[in-house]
Amino acid sequence: MTENPKQSPLTANPYLPEIGTIIETIQETHNIKTFRIVLGSEERMQNFHYEPGQVGQLSVFGIGESTFVINSPPTRKEYLQFSVMRAGEVTTKLHSLSKGDRIGVRAPLGNHFPYESMKGKDVVFIGGGIGMAPLRTLLLFMLDNREDYGKISVLYGARSPQDMAFSYELPEWLERKDMETVLTIDREAEGWEHKVGLIPNVLLEMAPKPKKAVAVTCGPPIMIKFTLQALKKLGFKDDQIVTTLEKRMKCGVGICGRCNIGTKYVCVDGPVFTYEQLRELPNEL
Amino acid sequence: MTILTQLKEQIAAQLPKLDMVIGWERGYDALHATPLFIRAAEDVERLQIGPLAVHNTATYLTGLKNKKVGLVVKGCDSRAVIQLQQEGLINRENVVVFGFPCDGVVDLTKLRREVGDLGRVTEVDASPTELRLNLDGQERNVALADVLADKCTRCRFPNALVHDHFAGTPREAHAVDDDYADVLAFESQPLEARFEHWQQEMSRCIRCYACRNACPMCVCRDHCVAQSRDPHWMTQDDAVREKWLFQVIHAMHLAGRCVECGECQRACPVDIPILALKRKLNKEIKEVFNHDAGVDPNAIPPLLSFQVEEENINERGW
Amino acid sequence: MAEAKFIANDKLTAWLDELSATMRVLAPARQGDAVVFVPYVAGQNVELGQEATAPPKSTVFPASEDLLRYDYRKNPENLGQVDVELFPTITPEPTLVFGSRPCGARGFLIFDRVYDGAKYKDPYYLARREATLFATIACLKAENACFCHSVGSAPGDAAGSDLLLTPMDDGYVVEAVSKKGEALLGSSLFTAGKKKAGQAKKLREQALKDMGEPQDFGPAKDKLLALFDDMGFWEDVSAKCISCGACTYLCPTCYCFNITDENAGLTGRRVRSWDNCMSFQFTLEASGHNPRPTKAHRLKNRVGHKFSYYPALHEGIIACCGCGRCIKSCPVSVDIREIVTKAMAHQPPAVEEAAK
Repeated sequence: MTENPKQSPLTANPYLPEIGTIIETIQETHNIKTFRIVLGSEERMQNFHYEPGQVGQLSVFGIGESTFVINSPPTRKEYLQFSVMRAGEVTTKLHSLSKGDRIGVRAPLGNHFPYESMKGKDVVFIGGGIGMAPLRTLLLFMLDNREDYGKISVLYGARSPQDMAFSYELPEWLERKDMETVLTIDREAEGWEHKVGLIPNVLLEMAPKPKKAVAVTCGPPIMIKFTLQALKKLGFKDDQIVTTLEKRMKCGVGICGRCNIGTKYVCVDGPVFTYEQLRELPNEL
Repeated sequence: MTILTQLKEQIAAQLPKLDMVIGWERGYDALHATPLFIRAAEDVERLQIGPLAVHNTATYLTGLKNKKVGLVVKGCDSRAVIQLQQEGLINRENVVVFGFPCDGVVDLTKLRREVGDLGRVTEVDASPTELRLNLDGQERNVALADVLADKCTRCRFPNALVHDHFAGTPREAHAVDDDYADVLAFESQPLEARFEHWQQEMSRCIRCYACRNACPMCVCRDHCVAQSRDPHWMTQDDAVREKWLFQVIHAMHLAGRCVECGECQRACPVDIPILALKRKLNKEIKEVFNHDAGVDPNAIPPLLSFQVEEENINERGW
Repeated sequence: MAEAKFIANDKLTAWLDELSATMRVLAPARQGDAVVFVPYVAGQNVELGQEATAPPKSTVFPASEDLLRYDYRKNPENLGQVDVELFPTITPEPTLVFGSRPCGARGFLIFDRVYDGAKYKDPYYLARREATLFATIACLKAENACFCHSVGSAPGDAAGSDLLLTPMDDGYVVEAVSKKGEALLGSSLFTAGKKKAGQAKKLREQALKDMGEPQDFGPAKDKLLALFDDMGFWEDVSAKCISCGACTYLCPTCYCFNITDENAGLTGRRVRSWDNCMSFQFTLEASGHNPRPTKAHRLKNRVGHKFSYYPALHEGIIACCGCGRCIKSCPVSVDIREIVTKAMAHQPPAVEEAAK
């Protein structure tokens, strides 16, 4: 459909997906599957510009669309990666797709992580479950621009070892000397050599220093709630905490009217917000 | 003492034991009453009954589980309470029913047919036989009988069938039996004419589901097949086929349960006469099972029961 | 603009016949007990006396429309490979909406700011918007539920219309509001209206005067936000609401929609349809979490959107045209004016205590 590979089709018709092709899938966990997708042509891929934290709508025609973060960084553009947790109608159908299947893509949508203003600072990533996906984008982007950032720490927690996504790159993260990686699971499991305990508690143990630091967190609401408390205890201010939100979305372009929190539409004004920004919004998460 | 005064006294006495009492009050203009949620003693004064108190207060019951709710009911409203009780959808102990003898309520659609646009009514005075309106500066008198809701002209149960408190003295019923003359008349038309009728009427449906949400017996609400993708029986297209399908499903789900309060039709903002579909099914239920919904708290709705041999179903007899 | 014209009552049908020969004309007609906009066919009755039950919203924003059609095709070279091709479906038809009231036409001005946004434009809406003209009839008498004068409009408001017709005893004074409207005034059925235009203006001004003092809803913008966490207030004002969609679907400014796919074998459609913020499903997430789980949360958003969030984003403009349909068509007579007024007057309980 895209005649001009340089132009985002969203400009002409924001509802019209591009057709992408799944080049690889990875079964991350029992309910998370990753899709690596390329758009129409190599030229189109090269002209596809996005920022870490931006999202896309994936379409299975006949079922519908759903929003996912592009979790591969713009510094690695061989493909666009999306990780999908099975929850509803669209995600269930997505899980049945495999290499070679066509898929609709409307991207990039939304805002992005404030990676410019994070330059020179220490960055603490705190991800729970599928919430690690958006963090991965920024993490890889920073690793690809390593000299721009201070200390990088990652705390990634999941229910059990089997629930850990991105297992293929965790060893590399653990080994790298230019970052600190801590993995944790909720309960003891055989053969697990890392931390056991809830994310907020492990975070307090890690005790990252708030001075010239930014914490980036994403995960289930209950984890976020207690992680925020932990971060505050450690001395992080609301403007030093960044998160990315999820809402039910349809249009993705600020028109259809369902993902607002007061005046802000998560699909265009978000999904990335600092806690300082969220505090200004009505309490409706 | 008037019935209204008596009701107010009864409510005021019970209110301390209840989370709320639901009745009616004057709405945004003289012609429109609106449901009143009495929570504080001073709210009681606003209570209104009479021919404009059209809403079925029982509609709110299933949304107020675990609350102690007082309900002011007309006869038809009380049938909904009974039906909900029959089906175990409410705990009767949590409901205190305030009954009164109902003289019938006005069908505003019929009134509009009589006097024209109702947007500028400034005064309404109702006597037992007449409705006096000031419409756009002009006095209009309308015989109540001409604008009563159809359900009232054939009402067999004007007094609450179930109540914990009753104000006034029970009145006589308008009718002893329902002959379903309206259904029979409609059915006597050729198929094409009936099809054309529904095509026309359903074409202006806006799919707002006021019919569903106003129905005291429509209890799926947030999980309705109308929006469901699993099962995916209906599309969201603005098409008569989809709209009509929903009405048929609605009617089927109400077979033997519909108390004919008429709220579905009254709530319809584009005046689609959908009560007819439910009347048709009630007529069949009456013929086959001799069952009236919402009359006896201890009855079992026929489509919720199974008997090996139904008296009026001649199994394998066709 | 061209001078005012006049069309006599007995020429109106002939004019509609002329117009409908060149484009689709939608006019209010009585259908059962309702008045709805339907395609005009020569000689058909037009109901101009009673305000239409439903506004002409669907003319530019249909209750449902296909955003695209898709075809799946098996690749003959590789049978395991299924290709998909998309066909966007934008099909505007030149249309004249005849006989709407000012509030019905003005609703699209609220849409425009969202559908013709700085970053994203909705090509389906914009194509229809461009192709649709409005010949609007000024109101000379407000109804009990009307409050257009309190939301920045008036019974004779021409904003959003192309022609404004003012009813006189013997016909209508017809004035062009836009260039496109002016082009519709070529018919020989018109006579000069200049002399009557002054009287028409007076009638419109009188109609506004008759509505009395407008209410100032401006303070609602901040007050509704201040009340956001006061769920007691919202539960109270939403108690009688039955959470249906009559208010939103009959609202000339409610613009929210749903998108659903409809599959039929190897082909199908992506459908956009009206959606309703009073519905539980509107914000229900796949996880089961719902940020607006009760009707109190949902009504809060509906009122907040119209009287606070939208004005905050759009120069104080209230996303309501005061037509009153949400009031008069509500099965339980929920009155949005009353809710906003209550909100503006509401004192948090703690403050009341302190005042005693």
